[in-house]
Amino acid sequence: MAMDWELAEFGVDYARGRGAQFAEARMEGRRVEALTLRNGVLDNVGSQEDRGIGFRVLVDGAMAFASTSLLTRARVEEALDGALAAAKATRRRHPLALAHAKAAEVRWGVEAKRPFADVPVEERLQSLLDLDGAIQSLGLETPGRLLEVSLRDYRRYLVTSEGARIRSEVPRIFFSAMLTAKDGSKTENSFRWLNYTGGWEGMEELGVDKIVLEDVEAMHRTLREAEKLPPGKMDIVCGPQVTGIASHESCGHPVEADRILGREASQAGMSFITSDMIGERIGSDLVNVVDDPTVAHGGGYYQYDDEGIRARKRYLYKDGLIHGFLQDRGSAGVLGGESNGAARTVAFNREPIVRMANTFVEPGDHSFEELVEGVERGVYIATFTEWNIDDKRWNQKYVGREAYLIEDGEVGRPVRAPVLEVTTRGFWSAVDAVGKDFYLEGGLCGKGDPMQGIEVSMGGPHIRLRGLHLG
Amino acid sequence: MDNRAVEILGLAQDLGFGDVIVDTYTVNDLQVRFSNNEVDIVNQWRDQGNRLFLAKGQRIITTEVKEAATAKETLRGILKILGSTKENPDYGGIYGGPFTYAPTPVDRKLVSLDNPAEAVEAAVEAAGQEGAGSCAGSLLRRWEVHDLATSAGARGRDERASIELSIRAFADREASGHGIAAASRLEDFHPEVAGREAGEVAHQARKPVLGKEGNYDVVLAPMVFGALVDAFAYMASAPTVMAGMSMFQDRLGKKVASPQITVTDDPTDEAAMGHRAFDDEGMPARPVPLVEEGILRTYLHNTSTAKKFGAEPTGSAHLGDALFANSFLQPAPCNLGVSPGELGREEILGEVKDGLYLTNTWYTRYQNRITGDFSTIPRDGIFRIKDGELVESWKDIRVTENLLDLFQRIDAVTREAPQVRWWGEVPVPTKAPWVVVRKVNITTSKD
Repeated sequence: MAMDWELAEFGVDYARGRGAQFAEARMEGRRVEALTLRNGVLDNVGSQEDRGIGFRVLVDGAMAFASTSLLTRARVEEALDGALAAAKATRRRHPLALAHAKAAEVRWGVEAKRPFADVPVEERLQSLLDLDGAIQSLGLETPGRLLEVSLRDYRRYLVTSEGARIRSEVPRIFFSAMLTAKDGSKTENSFRWLNYTGGWEGMEELGVDKIVLEDVEAMHRTLREAEKLPPGKMDIVCGPQVTGIASHESCGHPVEADRILGREASQAGMSFITSDMIGERIGSDLVNVVDDPTVAHGGGYYQYDDEGIRARKRYLYKDGLIHGFLQDRGSAGVLGGESNGAARTVAFNREPIVRMANTFVEPGDHSFEELVEGVERGVYIATFTEWNIDDKRWNQKYVGREAYLIEDGEVGRPVRAPVLEVTTRGFWSAVDAVGKDFYLEGGLCGKGDPMQGIEVSMGGPHIRLRGLHLG
Repeated sequence: MDNRAVEILGLAQDLGFGDVIVDTYTVNDLQVRFSNNEVDIVNQWRDQGNRLFLAKGQRIITTEVKEAATAKETLRGILKILGSTKENPDYGGIYGGPFTYAPTPVDRKLVSLDNPAEAVEAAVEAAGQEGAGSCAGSLLRRWEVHDLATSAGARGRDERASIELSIRAFADREASGHGIAAASRLEDFHPEVAGREAGEVAHQARKPVLGKEGNYDVVLAPMVFGALVDAFAYMASAPTVMAGMSMFQDRLGKKVASPQITVTDDPTDEAAMGHRAFDDEGMPARPVPLVEEGILRTYLHNTSTAKKFGAEPTGSAHLGDALFANSFLQPAPCNLGVSPGELGREEILGEVKDGLYLTNTWYTRYQNRITGDFSTIPRDGIFRIKDGELVESWKDIRVTENLLDLFQRIDAVTREAPQVRWWGEVPVPTKAPWVVVRKVNITTSKD
């Protein structure tokens, strides 16, 4: 798709010439191809190209955004006239300012070993059909099988009035599997998101087939054999998927600086963390949670964020203490310091906001066997089904899907739906051992208004928690 | 009507596609986001495009053509992709036209609204008068035009405009209230009322104590009940049932709610935000009685799923986009309403001798979509009720329930059912009353 990338420079110059102290253009071409297989039937095929340009302008301490999908100078002028007028009409008692940023001129991308354009549709479809066939070949009643694969090619160009010029080409795969297993009148659901930044080779790298088939077997094992344990205090070994969701929900989200400052208060919510809580204890000193956009092929991978800031690994909780926030230029403009490269946008027609990328507990030094050996009576929660957390990110709930009783250091029979309802400090304070393995699960994180569902990943190693109430 | 839709339709047919739907759209939306009583950003979106659904025999595909000039090239590429796919045996065609449509009434004052910040200021001011120190939220004015042309003869234009304000007011860090103003006519849009209500709840919610687990009779305010009604309605989408992901499987004609509950998806409601002249197959809008006096009457159908189930299409087809393929022309609700009950709003608290009043909820998630086990987290004002009076503010509780059971335990419904639509929690415009649900399971964090 040919695009006139110079519109970005044109727009920024236009805005600057009409009163904007800062202007930024984000131009994008995106190709998406998706297949949905429902119980072996090709339920839908989607193929589309989007393109457009979005602008932010800062005028006398007020910010406005405008976008258009019509890439002509006239439409760009129209969009910017609207944004400039809106910014000029806004009066703030506390003028907005963006933290300083070094303007980079760079082109970055992710090379696909197998670019999507080289992968025939027949092959993509056959991979889903083969997986569906493999599920059925297990001979386990699985009446609900919704398999989707979405291939996205993003081309972006960021131009700022400070001189940033950043081009990127990024392919991403998003695979999801929603499964229902049945045994008589009993049912189990499984829901997996697996994503990869790179080409079609990601489907193999992710081990999609193995994960899905193991889930089906695990669900049936639960249906056949699992019993509900009586509620009580137990030790817990969390699998990486559970470690990941806890990292994302109760660490990554509450350290988002825009949330801390109240910008998401009405929508995605507040945080239990306030701006003066750096250094406060939130967990045991074994807890190190990071967010790192540079994890190769991670679902949230990038090299420069959508404000042009170089990506880097960020410690969020370190040695059990609140260590740092995820920042963009706006939050850093309020809190002081600089952005640490957490500004992301899902598309040209959305403002960039603070987002996670790949969020995980840093591995420690225990093998899985060592984690389990140290448990007299507990539960190994390998995967979860339901999860939620309150908007201040303090009270969370995880319901185990694949879970097993641990007795005298041995993993034993399956247990049904162990429920962990726990505070954030309660969860992280209970960590007394961290595994040395590592796995990232995909995710689609929702935040912003309008909602921006963005590709992320989350995970880490197995971790052990002592003495938490399981229901 | 814009000719682009018909032109692209003709191009597609010339290239050999069979069934074709073209939705040529123009969107012009305006939003003000605010927090700490100040405007954070004003967002404006101008978008145009042409969404298409195409079939060649039983092979189907969804796509978009951004500009008519590139339509031929795009469609040639689409034809090639289609040739590499497989037939969908469940595809049953699209709805046959031509039709006459009842146009959506559009408030021109809404379309030409040029100073939306005034509404935000009015809401914040009203919240402040009730004791709120800080407010956050957003105001969104939507305006869109859709020109639809299908190979089955449907031709129509639908113009839609709406405005919604969401305001969360804080009396202190742990005391908040949330107000909504949502309308399709400026005369029905009262941002100061939303602000006042948010401020009142925030003021009352001060000094919350930790909530306690148990089974309580609960009054659910419209924002809570609206979220649950939306979740309920999405379960009725026929492809969701076909995928084995719905608690409504094998429940047609059966009791799924209290006899006091009737839920209709009614895009013909002229005063409502979700008004449509037609669905994305061009079927004229019609009220769809989803649940009548507690009985599940229909799934939401497009033409294909209706054929599969031996039912009538319900005018619920949505084109969607390729980012998440979902099902083709996935049926979805667009304008929900719960029939009014008999109680006045001022009477509803009196129906509860010992229970809770929940004003808002957040982050609803399922444990099992087949059984309907789920939980949701009350947010903003949570109040203990004793003998019909609010006696204490609570915090930190979770509703841990089964959606089917919960709807069957509703035993009081108000006459008033304000229209709510809010972010991702109440995504479908819904006229939701206050309701009383008996014996709701409340849980809390243990550690």
